[in-house]
Amino acid sequence: MKHIFVLIKEVPDMTRVKFDSEKGTVNRNSADAEMNPFDLNALQAAVDLKQICGCQVTAVIMGPPKAEKSLKDAFARGADRCVLVTDAKFGGSDTLATSRTLAAAVKKMGKPDLILCGEKSVDGDTAQVGAEVAERMGIPHSYYVEEICGMSEKEVTVRVEDLSGKKQERVMTLPALLSVTKNINFPQMPTLKRKLESLDAEIIRLKLADLEGLLTEEETGFKGSPTKVLKIEVPRMKTRDSKIFRESYGEFSAAIRGAMKEVL
Amino acid sequence: MNRQIIEKLTGIVGRDYLLTDRQQVSAYLYDQVEIPLRPKASEGCVVVKPASTEEVSAIVSLASQENIPVVVRGGGTGLCGAATPVYDSIIISMERMNHILEIDEKNMMAVMEAGVTLADLLEELEGHEGIGFPVHPGDEGAQMGGMVSTNAGGARAVRHGIMRNHIKGIKVVLADGSVLSLGGKLLKDNAGYNLMHLIIGSEGTLAIVTEVTLRIYPEEKYTASIVASFDTIEEASSAVLDVVKSGVSPLAVEYQDKKLNLETAELLGLHWPVKEGSADLIIILSEKTETALYDNCRAIDQICDRHHAREAMFAGTKQEEADVLAIRSGSYDVIKDDIYHSFDMAVPPSSMPEFLGELWRLVDSYDTRTNITAHIADGNVHNDILLVDGKVPDYHRELQEKMYQLCFSYHGTITGEHGIGKLRVGDLPLQKSPREMELMEQIKKVFDPKCILNPGTVLRSQREE
Amino acid sequence: MEQRHKILILAELCEGGVHKVAYELIGKALELYPSGKSVVECLILGNGEPDVAELCRRGAETVYYMKDPAFEEPEEQLYKENICAFIREHEPEIVLIGATSLGRSLGPRIAAALRTGLTADCTQLQISTEEKTAGKLEQIRPAFSDNILAHIVTGTMPQMATVRYKEFPEAVSDKSREVNIKVIKPYRTEVSGCRITRVYRELQENIQDAQVIVAGGRGIRKKEDLALLKELADLLGGQVGVSRALVDAGLAGSSMQVGYSGNRVKPALYIACGISGAPQHLAGMKESDVVIAVNTDPSAPIFSICDYGYVGDLYQILPQMIEDVKAWKGEEK
Repeated sequence: MKHIFVLIKEVPDMTRVKFDSEKGTVNRNSADAEMNPFDLNALQAAVDLKQICGCQVTAVIMGPPKAEKSLKDAFARGADRCVLVTDAKFGGSDTLATSRTLAAAVKKMGKPDLILCGEKSVDGDTAQVGAEVAERMGIPHSYYVEEICGMSEKEVTVRVEDLSGKKQERVMTLPALLSVTKNINFPQMPTLKRKLESLDAEIIRLKLADLEGLLTEEETGFKGSPTKVLKIEVPRMKTRDSKIFRESYGEFSAAIRGAMKEVL
Repeated sequence: MNRQIIEKLTGIVGRDYLLTDRQQVSAYLYDQVEIPLRPKASEGCVVVKPASTEEVSAIVSLASQENIPVVVRGGGTGLCGAATPVYDSIIISMERMNHILEIDEKNMMAVMEAGVTLADLLEELEGHEGIGFPVHPGDEGAQMGGMVSTNAGGARAVRHGIMRNHIKGIKVVLADGSVLSLGGKLLKDNAGYNLMHLIIGSEGTLAIVTEVTLRIYPEEKYTASIVASFDTIEEASSAVLDVVKSGVSPLAVEYQDKKLNLETAELLGLHWPVKEGSADLIIILSEKTETALYDNCRAIDQICDRHHAREAMFAGTKQEEADVLAIRSGSYDVIKDDIYHSFDMAVPPSSMPEFLGELWRLVDSYDTRTNITAHIADGNVHNDILLVDGKVPDYHRELQEKMYQLCFSYHGTITGEHGIGKLRVGDLPLQKSPREMELMEQIKKVFDPKCILNPGTVLRSQREE
Repeated sequence: MEQRHKILILAELCEGGVHKVAYELIGKALELYPSGKSVVECLILGNGEPDVAELCRRGAETVYYMKDPAFEEPEEQLYKENICAFIREHEPEIVLIGATSLGRSLGPRIAAALRTGLTADCTQLQISTEEKTAGKLEQIRPAFSDNILAHIVTGTMPQMATVRYKEFPEAVSDKSREVNIKVIKPYRTEVSGCRITRVYRELQENIQDAQVIVAGGRGIRKKEDLALLKELADLLGGQVGVSRALVDAGLAGSSMQVGYSGNRVKPALYIACGISGAPQHLAGMKESDVVIAVNTDPSAPIFSICDYGYVGDLYQILPQMIEDVKAWKGEEK
């Protein structure tokens, strides 16, 4: 049986995150956390493959203990195993440290045939972890996959939405990592019964100690992160000038010239 | 309208806030009534956009002296033609009176000008941790003044009631231009006749609302929507009665024919989550704790089983909930070209299974169909008479009359939430006794002796020209 | 002589030419350090004879063109192997990549292979002057759906960033600059794991993705008049949108409708023509970067949420705007 891993991130509900431009802070407290919307597509792609070829789907989240809520949601949507990669020592990981940690967790849970992830996360927006996991694992990857055309014993055929202005069809040797776009499918809602069952789903927890031999303390968390955030700024909300012109078209034309040239 | 009056109006609101150009005025003549049913708007109207209660008062004083009808316009989201002027009128558009004056977190009240939209209020409350306003009549472009004047309802009435339940005070301009403040931040106020409640729902015929004080509420953080499908509408509506009886208090329970859900989803580029069955329910839950949310889900799951639900899905992310609601609310665009007339009947909730079943059989006997969407737990049904080959069918009056009779046989009303407006003026006496009609006419006379306030709305009172 | 700083720009071939983001990156790279202290080099992989000399005319000291039939279509693993080998050999301090779809897919693969940091989708770059990080590349990028800006530094070498397209002005082309192109051989032409079996172009339009929307409302009198909007939209590389009034009147389909119940859009430029701005409509477009409104009604709500407004008849104003845009397009060239 094939093993598909889906890399998921838990993110705050972006409509409820508050930004303070005075203090330059982000307050996530008012926002509930949920599965990164882009990851729903990756999970659905895995569940769709399961229907076709009977594989096992493992959902992996790296995050704080409370992120088990999103793993349970992944279970409700069809994941068979739920893995929470959680340890205070993982805190402060940038994309490189995160990718090392996730790659170690995937290896720990068995040999993957396919690793799926969403296009990007709505909070970090970096879209880097997938390719970095692929590099760490030494497997091929494709980003912007809009269709998984087929999967055989050894290969998966995909269509890539746009690279340098063209679509590509690619045949990739398994194991491979795919990052899928929103267009690949329409994520299905869980059934009410499966949702209720998921509340008691088993969560497999992996700490740094559990990844011995696969990951060192120096490779993860703050220590393992080459990039550091110096500071953040919250730009002020844009207020519009509402410069209104009458009669003199010339003045209006001069005023909009900059904005129009910007898009030319 | 003669030049002197235009000049006086200009003097009140300023040149920029008066529209006389026919094309510009045309944007202010209609609400969202189906085009073939719209009352014809009078062509000689002007639009004024006052910035304060004082300006509204000055406009109405002038109108009263000159005996010119006044029609107030809010968000234009009404569904019964109340905002359409059928005489040459001064249209007062409240769009500039869009200031939220106070969010009083101690009394949990919001004080706003009448032109504040529901979207404005909800956005403002976002900034106040943990506070919300529950009534939601569908379109967030609705303005507070309009929501008061029409006593707006919407999907969440099953848990939170209608606008009337949340309005604590209003400031109004009367037909002679005088200004009155009614109610206030009081939870109890038992002094004399309650004129405020008389004005709520009077559709601009008794007074012009310029300021509103609403109760606001602690927000419930944990929400989910369950989408369940049944084979028949009777099974679906019996399940709803059980849900309410079980002690689960859903925020809303919406019914819509499967066909409509599927077609709307396609139009919007979304997916409808249940494929089987023909009668779909959306049960929206909103609770203070996660435990309470899932306890209610369990109860609903059991009820669904008991009533032979074909499928039951769980919309848990904000996006999924929004998509489900978008499909429920967007169905009008699917049917708008096929329908002649849509209705807003309501019956006691317990009568819903029988009423809906009989409604089906009634339209079937005319060899036609009807699209049904319903705030089903409130007993409020929206259905329609379809055009036949693009034409109004001969039987439309007869069928409408029979629908109403059916509704009355269950002690129902011809309008649960949309109001009488100009569309149902002739129908009101079918429901109300002559004595009740007479009292309403007398009340109108007391408030508006010259009949200048939105004439032709609610009652037949004729203007003396 | 004071130290010079080597900055490598990974340029990309797109539709037969160099993707313009490379010109923007050259401009930015040149101004990172005081005049003459930036050494800007470009690496570009491909096949055929594209005009890579332009990269020099824009300010690159050397362009390395790694040419091989294997690079005809981009594939990340093969590109990565070659680019990493190049970087190890040339040891730039900074590597900049345009945040195109290829750049975003390739960048992290390279960074992970070099075990260095990568900052995604930067909108500003500067050399840090803060005590602890002085001299480091300070990479500024939006996060949380563009609600915040994070300032990031990288502790390892090279310092790598992908940079958004159209954030910086292009470096000016100067014909007098020396053209120094080195066509180099690939380090490897084969890696297992991925075969490209088919490539093709496909264009689709979707109003929600449009960068420019020219929208019409009740001020549009008949269906044919939408052609006026279309002409302006085409000139600006945008699409035509409509308000609900036009959909209701049967002048346009609902796929073009902008509003609470239509499409919610967020283009760089929104030009509202004859739209009064009912709350229903505003809810669908108020997040646009720049809003220009033309309406005959001075009190139309659209004027209170626009950046620039003109009180007048769109039938007179739009033709003038079209002429203006044609003229400005000429200047751009």
